[in-house]
Amino acid sequence: MPHGLIARARSVWRAVRRRAEFEADMQAEFRFHQESRAADLVRAGLPPAAAARQARLEFGDAETHKDDAREARGLRRFDQLRVSWLDVRLGFRMLRRYPGLAVVGGLAFALAVAAGAAGFEMMTQLAYPTLPLPGGERIVALRAWDAAAGRGERRLAHEFAGWRGALRTVEELGAYRTVGRNLVVPGGEVAAVPVAEISASAFRVAAVPPLVGRALVPADERPDASPVLVIGHDVWRTRFGADPGVVGRTVRLDGAPHTVVGVMPEGFAFPLSHAWWAPLRLSASGYAPGDGPTLELFGRLAPGATLGAARAELAALGRRAAAEHPDARAHVRPEVVPFAESIYTKPLGLAIRAELAAANVPAVLFLVLVCGNVAMLTFARAATREGELVVRTVLGASRGRIVTQLFAEALVLGGVAAVLGLAAVGAGLRPFLLAAAGPSDRMAFWIDGRLSPPTVLYAAALTVFGAAVAGVVPALKVTRGLTARLRAASAGGGGPRFGGVWTAVIVCQVAVTVGFPVFAWSAWRESTYYRSAAATVPAGEYLTARLAMDRADVSAASGDTAAAGARFRAARAELARRLAAEPAVRRLTHASALPLTSHPWRRVEVAGAAPPATEPAALPRVGEARVADNFFAVFGAPVLAGRGFHAGDLAADARVVVVNRSFVRDVLGGRNPVGRRVRYSAGQEVPGDGPPGGRPPVPRPGPWYEIVGVVPDLGVKADGDPRRAAGMYHPAAPDADELTHLAVHVRGDAAAFAQRLRALAAAADPALRLDAVLPMDEAQVADLRTLGYVVRLLVAAGVLALTLSLAGLYAVASFTVARRTREIGIRVALGADARRLAAAVVRRPLTQVAAGALLGCGVLAVLGHAGSEFLAGLSARDALAVAAYAAVLVATCLLACLVPARRALAVQPTEALRGDG
Amino acid sequence: MTDRSGQAGLLPGTLDLLILKAVSLGRLHGYGVLLRIEQISGGALHIQQGALYPALYRLEHQGLLAAEWGTSEHNRRAKFYRLTAAGRRRFGEETASWRRLAEAMARSLAATPQEV
Repeated sequence: MPHGLIARARSVWRAVRRRAEFEADMQAEFRFHQESRAADLVRAGLPPAAAARQARLEFGDAETHKDDAREARGLRRFDQLRVSWLDVRLGFRMLRRYPGLAVVGGLAFALAVAAGAAGFEMMTQLAYPTLPLPGGERIVALRAWDAAAGRGERRLAHEFAGWRGALRTVEELGAYRTVGRNLVVPGGEVAAVPVAEISASAFRVAAVPPLVGRALVPADERPDASPVLVIGHDVWRTRFGADPGVVGRTVRLDGAPHTVVGVMPEGFAFPLSHAWWAPLRLSASGYAPGDGPTLELFGRLAPGATLGAARAELAALGRRAAAEHPDARAHVRPEVVPFAESIYTKPLGLAIRAELAAANVPAVLFLVLVCGNVAMLTFARAATREGELVVRTVLGASRGRIVTQLFAEALVLGGVAAVLGLAAVGAGLRPFLLAAAGPSDRMAFWIDGRLSPPTVLYAAALTVFGAAVAGVVPALKVTRGLTARLRAASAGGGGPRFGGVWTAVIVCQVAVTVGFPVFAWSAWRESTYYRSAAATVPAGEYLTARLAMDRADVSAASGDTAAAGARFRAARAELARRLAAEPAVRRLTHASALPLTSHPWRRVEVAGAAPPATEPAALPRVGEARVADNFFAVFGAPVLAGRGFHAGDLAADARVVVVNRSFVRDVLGGRNPVGRRVRYSAGQEVPGDGPPGGRPPVPRPGPWYEIVGVVPDLGVKADGDPRRAAGMYHPAAPDADELTHLAVHVRGDAAAFAQRLRALAAAADPALRLDAVLPMDEAQVADLRTLGYVVRLLVAAGVLALTLSLAGLYAVASFTVARRTREIGIRVALGADARRLAAAVVRRPLTQVAAGALLGCGVLAVLGHAGSEFLAGLSARDALAVAAYAAVLVATCLLACLVPARRALAVQPTEALRGDG
Repeated sequence: MTDRSGQAGLLPGTLDLLILKAVSLGRLHGYGVLLRIEQISGGALHIQQGALYPALYRLEHQGLLAAEWGTSEHNRRAKFYRLTAAGRRRFGEETASWRRLAEAMARSLAATPQEV
């Protein structure tokens, strides 16, 4: 009966909310009754004192009636489960009294909550991104998908012009592209900066006013307008010293003067992570479909328009375009997505969200495991407190009351730990994201790693859940049959036992303990590889840079591509000429990829080797680079076999390659490489600019190349993975477009030469941009830093898992001894062998640890067999090392049982019997 | 609806029905309920006085009674109970059900050997 239920709930709620009032009212009501009755009795002739006594007698035991009344109002159950201040204070006292449990359990708890909160925050930010801008949910991105090519179509200049006039559901339509420019602030250094060339409407769409000066206006987009620049808050501080008079100052972008007209407020980085905004100037004469610069389009939904309406309108425009331009637009489907979701190529649907949510499952499992362990420690402690619990039961505490108290104790521990964990995430997640992304590859500004209120709530829920596991489960176990034991108290024995649940917890714990250090070691080995690769060349003596030149003027006709390429080659040659004249420069060389950086990788097959594998993924993959003919000489790499490159290798039909030592070992199995032929296999993408997955695979294998020489490993990182070190070098002519990287071998400090290098480049051509100017040994600093984070995290988790395991095993062994004091005493009295007694104590923990170690090794073996990325490259010797580590682990755990075992052997028969009485 | 009075002669569940009846005749405080039951039963039914309150609280909890503080006939502050709509409905159902039971019992107990 719903009415009755509602009435009951309301009644309980009222009584709970005004508990004191409820009690006072009840007291007043009872008193009124008794006094009225006494007054009636006085009227009937009794003396007042006798009347009052008679009224009290007739009323009965007021306390019993009060209890019954409370129960009638549904308060009794509530009272049992209510966590009182006293429970909380008791919880804090427990933390102080058992500091070991507090520290170990608390740290583990904090780590688990931190992992859960960080995962959840990233999940919500990635799966449900929102723009922190006024009305951000109505800002949309417009883009197009080329169904025939299976990739996004970003040359949308034609569409931009058409949609700007036609769209009714989207207003303030704008476009931007990100270009690299050489920035020169008078009195400052040359720096390559990413500039957003953007429609003025962006600032109306984002609806954020500038802090100083003005934002871009439509007049700035006119070709004859004077060039202007709006800057971000951070760069205003770092590059202009937060100069309030910055408006009107002139800076140079690729040599062209621009006037700063405004500064945006702190945190503003629309559209993605930008800090420099220049007007987007498109050709007045328009573009053909599929022509012009690549553009990203954005706008704001018109008042009253829905996303669905915008989709429908854009789809109609797409169909019309397909009919009008069947050659260029037949398969291009325009789409509208919320702007925050435009970081995903595919629509952010259930599949991606589910995948992101699934990423949180390990964190929750980790929490369960940690809490299971804390539960075990709590249980062992509760079992030693059985006397106290018995006394409380005798004094009338119900089972629910005791369970609540233990839950409150776990909640206090978890609460303290959760605050620590959340603080760590709040302070650490953002720097971690920044470090992981690197300075050149910033995340979209709305993915910022700041803790949001839902995450704090989630962490609170995790804490309550964890406290329930760590407090309620052991409490239920320890209080089960407490009253029955109470009755049979004199019989001794019995009592709570460590059952199957705890065995499972320990086994899992030990398995994890085996696993963590292996992963940590694998990550550490990767970082040592980076270092050892750096050691093959004196990397600190080389200054490296990526050369680039973005076309200055997007409104130029597309026929100018060839001219732009020629300008780039001329600038590169001019820079080389000027560098060669510098006294500090020993030599310089060019390549498509430099040592110690990521090389594009492709799968190869070797002529005359094993028959071509049917599975293309089984073919070896190698990193490739195109290098100038002096490349090996500049890096001081001797030719180990065969020869290096010479001028004749540049002929179109020469087709020769030089391979590195890892190639000989991994691809050829150590056989003599010189004279062998190798080719790229069919069915893979040709590496190039842009993200992988967007280019169609090549249907045929490439031509055969002859291996003419072998060089040492110079730090080829195929696919960014330092363990895949097989490399293959192609010769490139000095004027080849692929030679986009420059390495300068300098006398003295490479880093000190960076500024000179930038100045020379600016002198050679103001538009010649140098990205990532770094001494070669710093090129992988970011990689190393991220890896360092991972290693430290894994080591911390491993140490924690080990500590928890040891604490758990110690607790179990001590518990066993404490429980069996009487039995052991009798056995000692009967002359039992000491060794057998010790074995009886350690047998159980030993079995559990052995089972856990086996499980851990098994899981690692399965992962290794399945080719897990992290464990790739673990050899048989490594497997032996893992097994040895597991054995050491078992031995360490046995040490944890040593103290309890000694205690067991020291048990005196009399003591055992006395303790029992 | 259990009866906790323990009083012989008061069948389980009847205390609640008697309270509903007493309150159905007009707004009453707890002591008034006691007096009214004694009065309408002609003093035949005795109730352990304190046991009245858990029953009153239970009926209030179930939404059958509503309570509010007011002033008694002797000008003292007292808690008064009255029937709610749900209480009135329940009172009707319980009364009918009690009558059916009482008639059935009376008929059963009046049965003679000839009727068997």
